[in-house]
Amino acid sequence: MEKNTVTSVDAGLSPQKTRRSMGAKASRRLSNTAIYIVLALITVIWLFPFFGILLESFRVETTQQVSYLWPKQFGFDNYIKLITKTDFMQWFVNTGIMGVATAFFQVFFILSVSYALSRMRFKGRQGLMNIMLILGMFPGFLTMILIYKVFAEAGLTMEMAPVGLIIVYCASSGMGYYVSKGFFDTIPKSLDEAARVDGATRFQVFYKVIMPMAKPIVIYTILMGFMAPWGDFMTASYIIHENSEGMNVAVGMYEWLSKTNLNEYYTTFCAGGVMVALPVTAVFLMLQKYYVEGVTGGAVKG
Amino acid sequence: MPFYHDKEVEYKLRFIWFCMNKLNDLQYLKLNKLQKFAYKLKLFIAGIPRFLLKLLLGFLGFFKKIGLGIKAFFVDIFTTFTKGNWAVKLSYFIFGFGNIYYGQILRGLFFFLFEAVFICYMIVPSGGLYWLSKGQWFQNGATIGTVQGGYVYDAVYDTDVWQPGDDSVKVLLYGLLTILFIIGFLYTWRLQIKQCRICMDITAQGKKVKSAKSDMRSLVDDQFHKTLLSLPIIGILAFTVLPIIFMVLVAFTSYDAAHDGYSNLFSWVGLDNFNALFNFGSGGLGLAFGEILSWTLMWSFFATFTNYFLGMFVAIMINKKGIKFKKFWRTVLVMTIAIPQFVSLLYVSRLFDDTGIIGKLLVNWGWFAGTNNTSLWDTELSARILLIVINIWIGIPYIMLMATGILMNIPNDLYESSRIDGAKPFQQYTRITLPYMLFVTGPYLLTSFVGNLNNFNVIYLLTQGNPLDTGMGTPGGASVGSTDLLITWLFKMTLGSTDSKYYMASIVGILIFVVVAALSLIVYNVIPSTKNEEDFK
Amino acid sequence: MATVKFTNVQKIYEKGHTPAVADFNLEIADKEFIVLVGPSGCGKSTTLRMLAGLEDISGGTIEIDGEVVNDLQPRDRNIAMVFQNYALYPHLTVFENMAFSLRLKKMKQDEVYRRVTEAAEVLGITEYLTRKPRALSGGQRQRVAIGRAMVRDSKVFLMDEPLSNLDAKLRNQMRAEIILLRQKIDSTFVYVTHDQTEAMTLGDRIVIMKDGFIQQVGTPDEVFDYPANLFVAEFIGAPKMNIVRTQLIEENGKFYVTPFGSRMEVDGVNGQLLKERGITSRDVILGVRPEHISIVEAGAENTIDSTILVNEMMGSELHLHVSTSTGEKLIVRTPTVNLSHEERNKMHTGFPLHITFPGKVMYFFDPETEENLLY
Repeated sequence: MEKNTVTSVDAGLSPQKTRRSMGAKASRRLSNTAIYIVLALITVIWLFPFFGILLESFRVETTQQVSYLWPKQFGFDNYIKLITKTDFMQWFVNTGIMGVATAFFQVFFILSVSYALSRMRFKGRQGLMNIMLILGMFPGFLTMILIYKVFAEAGLTMEMAPVGLIIVYCASSGMGYYVSKGFFDTIPKSLDEAARVDGATRFQVFYKVIMPMAKPIVIYTILMGFMAPWGDFMTASYIIHENSEGMNVAVGMYEWLSKTNLNEYYTTFCAGGVMVALPVTAVFLMLQKYYVEGVTGGAVKG
Repeated sequence: MPFYHDKEVEYKLRFIWFCMNKLNDLQYLKLNKLQKFAYKLKLFIAGIPRFLLKLLLGFLGFFKKIGLGIKAFFVDIFTTFTKGNWAVKLSYFIFGFGNIYYGQILRGLFFFLFEAVFICYMIVPSGGLYWLSKGQWFQNGATIGTVQGGYVYDAVYDTDVWQPGDDSVKVLLYGLLTILFIIGFLYTWRLQIKQCRICMDITAQGKKVKSAKSDMRSLVDDQFHKTLLSLPIIGILAFTVLPIIFMVLVAFTSYDAAHDGYSNLFSWVGLDNFNALFNFGSGGLGLAFGEILSWTLMWSFFATFTNYFLGMFVAIMINKKGIKFKKFWRTVLVMTIAIPQFVSLLYVSRLFDDTGIIGKLLVNWGWFAGTNNTSLWDTELSARILLIVINIWIGIPYIMLMATGILMNIPNDLYESSRIDGAKPFQQYTRITLPYMLFVTGPYLLTSFVGNLNNFNVIYLLTQGNPLDTGMGTPGGASVGSTDLLITWLFKMTLGSTDSKYYMASIVGILIFVVVAALSLIVYNVIPSTKNEEDFK
Repeated sequence: MATVKFTNVQKIYEKGHTPAVADFNLEIADKEFIVLVGPSGCGKSTTLRMLAGLEDISGGTIEIDGEVVNDLQPRDRNIAMVFQNYALYPHLTVFENMAFSLRLKKMKQDEVYRRVTEAAEVLGITEYLTRKPRALSGGQRQRVAIGRAMVRDSKVFLMDEPLSNLDAKLRNQMRAEIILLRQKIDSTFVYVTHDQTEAMTLGDRIVIMKDGFIQQVGTPDEVFDYPANLFVAEFIGAPKMNIVRTQLIEENGKFYVTPFGSRMEVDGVNGQLLKERGITSRDVILGVRPEHISIVEAGAENTIDSTILVNEMMGSELHLHVSTSTGEKLIVRTPTVNLSHEERNKMHTGFPLHITFPGKVMYFFDPETEENLLY
């Protein structure tokens, strides 16, 4: 796990041939200035919607869309409406529960699969990986028609949808082993071998040697599992089947922006958006380091 | 003239020679740039038949393997029976007998229990055999399930009451489960016979068979993968494999909202549904499918590559030496990943609506003067372009992160040595950074392309597939939108409205699979050695 | 405390492919230091890993102390192993790294402490016990890896190229330390390396392997003086032995070789042996070690005329790469102590050199089988 990490690279944009007329320093300053301008522009564009939501959520004068950004009157009216007059809190709690449960079970499933596929060699290993690859080529949503039927029969839709959704999110999550297997693959095999010679069983190798080293990927997997229910619309809307009690935030708030509800609920949506985004973003930014490490294979330390 | 003529002949001959021969390394190095390109093109084209042949052989090999497996199954079963002692022979009928005989009580009981459960399941009323017989498997025109429910006069209530019949979905599902159970049964049958014979052989050598204790011990040691994988694989079997097989079967039935299996049985229709795909007339499914597939591919292409190159560009800017606040720039972008997509996408979608801030601005500027449109979402072209632009906003952060990771892994000495060789910054970019990135991210590009192919969230939350293409009708049981992807179309088909045609959804699902599989096959065969980063170094 | 016995051991990775290890037979005595040596891909590491239980055995049996261990897990074989890349647990301190196996045995803390500190004392790493491996240098890490193996009362001590990740200077130092260590530990050692110097200096016996087959087993003296075949002859000794295809001529009970048109008598033990084996005139491959070639004055009889291509000054000796009149290349190794400053100065590229092969230290190989004719 010793990786040479450099904190910055010369990715081909730095000028190095000294030009007689200008000098390397001046030329670099010029190109850097251009880059700063572009980056500033990017920052504005990227943050604009978020500031928009934040500002509009505090707007009191009207609940409709308006042609200006800065509210004429600030207040918490939208938040009060959100909590007292809508089912938002129920959705929020539903989603939260789903997030925690999904994170918990997915970690278990994904780490099991990726560890086994990365560290152990057994008959059928390659076949298993191929089958999972092929299964992954089917649109996952295709399975929902049957699953919905079965869940409806078992009472896991509508108001019980959160339970059904947790099962859906977790049951096949073993197929998403790629990132963490990639991580395990970077841990030298000889560590396992040394531990086995030292008297450890495979299980002891797993939890005494590999797990302590796998903290980044564990946190990454938890983070991904926790985030999934917050953003899922497709599966959730199918299983929930328009039952308000069982909705997650995405499905619930989606209706507020339909043509019929837009004028009454637009700012409520913004308030809800802020309520959803705040905790999730907070968690995410807190653990950003691990996310970035997971995505970049450990090359970038958050 | 003759001179020229000769030369021409010579060139022609040379060209033919060039086309016919595979060059060795030194000959190849002699070629100039254009020739090299031509040569590569030629190899590529010449490789297509071989690729197809390889594919065919692969398929044949696959079936041959299955055939051989089945053959080995029977041969093994037969020879074991003839060679085995009476305990082995008895195991053919009583599962686990041999295991118990040789002292592996736990395993034996386990096998025996399995057999008992299987037999009970098969023969009890409304058990396996019952469901299998109900299915009328693959008989064209036959219903799935045999008893149609209906309203029957009930004297007690003095009215027609619903008298439930069979439920086709249930019949199909239980039938399928039964078939899988039978396969599992055969597998277990052979497994325990094999184990029994191994026990026999070991005992004959005077050694001891594995005890239950060492079985348990090996589950946390050399057989630890079984422990690890059992639950995840059961999950995948139940929630992915089974539903997918079920849906593939549905493609050969008439399962739709009107024939939901309960109130109306649905039936086997053979290849009728697939034939509908070739109806290219107006309102025909083939036309709608072609339209949506072409936009899906277009969308995937643009969404993937705009993100890829722009994201890489942003990464290079942020990571350039001497740029400060690297972490800040990165965090700004990463925030877009953190905020749940439905919040940002729905909000942005409304921004561009006729009532949204930007939409109103455009209206005021007279952007839509002289048309019936009120926002960018109203015409096919503008909606599509806007989708791709907004997707850049969504996608750049991911690519930026990934590209940053790769950039940091490019050995710095590559840049230093190229600098000594006299490369300018732009040349460094085209000769080192870009090839390296392309090399490492080849597989990623494929995943990203496939991901965009199925990018439900961005399309559905922004446009719901609108504007509608009303001329298309509803061939699949759902409206056809100009920005619909196959996946959103599939979603609309299954929403449970009165038009829903589940069999169409199934066909679209299968077609998505075909497209993705074909793409993957081609990409993995065209991009050489996409897997090994070491090759580049 | 332990003997090791390989009987017809085989390793086949893929069916139908050539085996990685073929028909390996070896008996290792108690407390013996055995070195497996050979070029990469010769199967030496595979053999070691089969002994450790890290690879399945495709055929044959391996016994430790008379017990067949084929089906035993590594942890049940009571062995200790040092890996090439150290394989230290990065999340544990040096102390816990060394104590890992003892902890798994649920040993009492007092005993763990005693054993680890004792081993650390011997290896001189006591002051690093609380550090994590990443804070150590390569040599220190290697010591920890050895220490981890030392704390156990294992029957066999396995080492898989333990020094090849170290730089040359450190490698020499560690090599000496392993010799010292071996005297302290008093256990059976199996050591794998590709470096013939390590093999010669460390091993009681050396097992030379190529393409999965054992070429020769013997003490360092034996394999140096009596290489079984051309491969062993070339592999052992540095710089490499010079090889010349030539004629062996028997005349009146005396033997001559005729490299490069010269005629040299084979005398001493060699002549004796040739006679005993009943060898007559024939084609041979003649091997001469660089240090056995003597430089003679111009005009002496039966010399080979050559010119110097490259002169490598090693300090205590010169390595002269020379080219004969027929264009063949030889290496001559001569101690500097015999040469005056002026003589050394003259020996630059193009300088003519007259050399001769002394008959009593020649090696003869069959051109077909490459076997040593006198082995």
